[in-house]
Amino acid sequence: MSSKWKIERRTFLKGSAGALVPLPFLNLMEARGAKSVIGSDQGRAPVRFVTLFKPNGVHPPSWNINGGTENDFRMSPLMKPFSKHKKDLLILDNMGDFGFSSHSNSTRRFLSGHHGNRKTASLDQVIAEKIGKDTTHRSLELTTEGLFVNQIGCSYISYDKKGNPLPRESDPQLVFDRLFRNPSQNPDQRKEFTSLLDRVADDARALQRRTGKEDSETLEEYFTVLRETEKRLENMATTSRSSVDYSTLNRPDTPVTLDDQVEAMLDVIAMALWTDSTRCISYMLGNSNSRLIFDFLGINRQHHYLSHFFRNFSRSNIDSLLKISLWHMEKFDSLLTRLKRYKDGRGSLLDHSVVLFGSGMGHSDNHTAQRLPIILAGQGGGMLKTDRYLRYSKNQEVGRLHLSLMQKFGIDQKSYANSSTPLPGLDGSPFEEFKERSFESWVKRGKGTITAQGRLRMSNNLDEAKVFYIDVEGKPSVRIEIGFGDFHSYNLAYHVGTPIKLSGNSGEKNGQLVINKVTGLTSLFGNSKPGKANG
Amino acid sequence: MKGEVDFSKIKTQADADSRFELWETVAEMIGAGEMPPEDNPQLNPKEKTMILDWHQERLEAPIEPRPGIFRPRRLSGPEYRNTLRSLFGFELKVAIAEAQQTVTGEQSLVLKLLPKDPPGASGFINDTHGATLSPVIWEQYAFLTDTAIERLFAPKQRPQLEEMIGEKLPANWEPSSLTLDQSRALIRRFVPRALRRHVSDDRLSTSLKPLKNKSGLELLKTLKFEMKAVLLSPAFLYRGLLVERFPGTQRQVDPFELAERLSYFLWEDRPDKELMTLAADGSLLKEEVITAQVKRMLKAPQARNLAQSFGVQWLGIANLDELIKNPISHHSLRTQPVLFLNHLFTEDRPVIELISSKTTFVNEGVSSFYGQDREKMKRHPKPKGIERQTTPFNKFTLEKATWRGGIITMPGILTMNRGPIQRGTWLLRRVLGVRLGEPPADVPPIKPAPRGQKLTFRERFERHRTDPSCARCHEEIDPLGFALDGYDTNGRFIDRNGKNANGPDTSGKLPTGEIFQDYTGLKEILLGSQREKIIRNSVERTLSYAMCRKLTRTDQPTIDRITKSIVKDNGTWENLFVEIVNSLPFRETIFEGETKK
Repeated sequence: MSSKWKIERRTFLKGSAGALVPLPFLNLMEARGAKSVIGSDQGRAPVRFVTLFKPNGVHPPSWNINGGTENDFRMSPLMKPFSKHKKDLLILDNMGDFGFSSHSNSTRRFLSGHHGNRKTASLDQVIAEKIGKDTTHRSLELTTEGLFVNQIGCSYISYDKKGNPLPRESDPQLVFDRLFRNPSQNPDQRKEFTSLLDRVADDARALQRRTGKEDSETLEEYFTVLRETEKRLENMATTSRSSVDYSTLNRPDTPVTLDDQVEAMLDVIAMALWTDSTRCISYMLGNSNSRLIFDFLGINRQHHYLSHFFRNFSRSNIDSLLKISLWHMEKFDSLLTRLKRYKDGRGSLLDHSVVLFGSGMGHSDNHTAQRLPIILAGQGGGMLKTDRYLRYSKNQEVGRLHLSLMQKFGIDQKSYANSSTPLPGLDGSPFEEFKERSFESWVKRGKGTITAQGRLRMSNNLDEAKVFYIDVEGKPSVRIEIGFGDFHSYNLAYHVGTPIKLSGNSGEKNGQLVINKVTGLTSLFGNSKPGKANG
Repeated sequence: MKGEVDFSKIKTQADADSRFELWETVAEMIGAGEMPPEDNPQLNPKEKTMILDWHQERLEAPIEPRPGIFRPRRLSGPEYRNTLRSLFGFELKVAIAEAQQTVTGEQSLVLKLLPKDPPGASGFINDTHGATLSPVIWEQYAFLTDTAIERLFAPKQRPQLEEMIGEKLPANWEPSSLTLDQSRALIRRFVPRALRRHVSDDRLSTSLKPLKNKSGLELLKTLKFEMKAVLLSPAFLYRGLLVERFPGTQRQVDPFELAERLSYFLWEDRPDKELMTLAADGSLLKEEVITAQVKRMLKAPQARNLAQSFGVQWLGIANLDELIKNPISHHSLRTQPVLFLNHLFTEDRPVIELISSKTTFVNEGVSSFYGQDREKMKRHPKPKGIERQTTPFNKFTLEKATWRGGIITMPGILTMNRGPIQRGTWLLRRVLGVRLGEPPADVPPIKPAPRGQKLTFRERFERHRTDPSCARCHEEIDPLGFALDGYDTNGRFIDRNGKNANGPDTSGKLPTGEIFQDYTGLKEILLGSQREKIIRNSVERTLSYAMCRKLTRTDQPTIDRITKSIVKDNGTWENLFVEIVNSLPFRETIFEGETKK
């Protein structure tokens, strides 16, 4: 498709500051007038910031990378769809808060650094404040679905200076039209608009001749509007400086499925960045508790229902859930592919962008707030050193990542959300890497009871996705097959990947030890009881 | 209006007559001593009496029925949306993924972009006389026009384009291969449809001439331009600019204007092909023809707009939008009264069934309000994997839930008006058509009960009402409102047989002296002594919506006549609509200006 982009374009365009207002045509003019020469940056492509939000957390065994090192790692099954972009990725692990997440505050954790950070701008808006002044649109806030009003936080990731949610737009054609099908941007359209005004005025004059005095007020009002519009058009012709012929851009078709809608929006996002109409975009693939039905994937159960894969377990449910998650991953791939396709300065658009992809929640049934899926993509013009996997030694609050990104965008910010030290390692600087600590593993049997110490893991076998295991060195793993009550009250999902001591009522199944009722859980190195509070 | 009237412009008796409402206000202000203004010469008592007597005399004098003065008006937002949709054959929608429990917001691109119309003096948004056009609105029209025309030539819209050109297009057809004949055919169909009447050859040639000698993309561009010019012309955006005028006369409106009045009244949309044909040969002017059309139109799906627009605005049902945040309850509570009104309007039901009807529409969101009757409801089991969902409505006949039936006790209506005062005011204003003044500015708050006394809200309120300036309205409001105290805030019926035997006092006495024990008793009074009042208000509101204006004194005879006939024959809503479209204000108009010799 890039062959259709026969546009002569300066390295970057000069626009001016202006908010995205719901008026598609001339009103953009109102925002013009502000000066907009990027003097000091001459010759360098501007850096863009894009956020892509994934709803409803993940199925951790399918997402997490277990083992591997910073420069030598294998991507997980869920990462397959975008593994071809490995060289452009910086995969972060052990990001999150202590405890658990609600759907509605997971959006603040994701882009405002902490679930409790409700009074400041989200990361994208802080960055937009810095880099959005030179473009026609300061930033775009985009989404796919409607508002979940019962828990309104589910529907927004972008928040203004006061921490109030910013309205989002879901229609790719409408966004395209605001950006490009606009007489203020397009001399041809301006010309046509002017002749249209003349024609309509003729029509109105003809009507005035045949109508009585009493209607002249109505028509006078109409003439006034035409004159004002004409004046603004003239004014526009003298101030407009855009050199891009937007009429060569392809307006997306009217979408039929959710997939069409998202693909079209990703197209518009790439065009918006490439034409330098804006440098900052946030896009939600769904509300954080999305109830969307992916019928075009042959799935007729709601995403949120399926995401609670323990309590609603069946093989077909977990298959459906993973199918949906893979679709999200494909959209991330789609975005990166598009950004690579566009030349920008000496590299691709992706080379001059920072893309933040992920979710504000880890385990989608238990709602754990750690090991969040978070990936950065693009070099950001040298800000980030990609093709790496950073697994931090301890849980890192997302606010540290945000603080670090803000500073890299040249923002003078000393602290953000709960964090006052930036996250190290993004640009290749040293960071404390996750290290295994040694511990003993064993299993003891009592009368009808078992106590086992070892690393807890979730089953990789999707036929038994609600089963956990404790690995014991030199012995068969102890199988943990419990009901939702135990899963929930002992927070098993929270301890996955870490060594624990677990006691319970025993049984045996095909020669394997099975715990089917938990009576006690102790974490060897962490908190045994993460608590029920929203983390 | 205060301070803005130039009385020197009123020269003739007819001028004076046409300003009935002005004299109402003048009399009121003189009576209250607010006119003339303080720093102007004052009237002596004799002059004052003279003016007030004159007014009183005229008030009591028999009124000649007269139609309204002809005024063009801009299409309201919903009218514009519907007109554009029926003109093009597709709707401009906002792309947004739909999911249960979410609010997708305005899904019509037209309504999303156009500023919301304020209600006019009539209280209805189709009364756009006071809504000025602004550059912002005009630009939105320009944008929407552009969007619709672009879309018409997209491959998905081929059937609509074929219909407009009047011929089948080959499968591999591209807009650039449009022929001159095709574009002419399109203009010939498009212009009269858009302007809602047959147009002169002169007007047609304005749009046809520029197409001459053009082909390919240039032709396409010119054609689109001509279509845009039509849709941005005031003749399209306003109603009535093309009417046949006869200045200085009162006469029947021309048949196309009549067709437009009819279709925007019943459908909120432009006249369809059949109406246009009947207008073209003038037969629509015949009483039996237009009556048959009303019957036909009420069966069409567009007639749902009567309930959706007229019904919702009349009864203030949109108040639920702000109040009920849960999308599923909102959908249930908001849809139920609309379906009920639609049933009354389109299925030939008596006007008075607004108050009392055995028919209702129930889905799972409201079924719990219907006691044992809910057992008759068709079940809609929730598919697996769906957490919550809206369910379809079923029409059913009330048997045991005698405390429901009619609009007043619908859960949505009761919950929309919380507490006895809101409920009483709503009933009085919206259903009985009583004009209540604004409450006085210095209303004291309702006092708490004195120490050691236990008083209900009602008892405390009754003490409050001893203030005569409050009592004037509250005498009327309160008995109605307290009767509805038999339903809780959420509209749930409080069953007195069980633990609620000592529930709130729902008895009352109307200013007429009639007494009742509870809402069932009040309902009998509403259906008895108040029946005519309710029917009169229904007639007034419908006529006002149909005329898109506030009614005046000269509409009184029409209202009286229709009310009488509906009261006498237990007339239906359909009868009412037929009466209205055959009435003088609907059929005739006064064109201002000098009579041309």
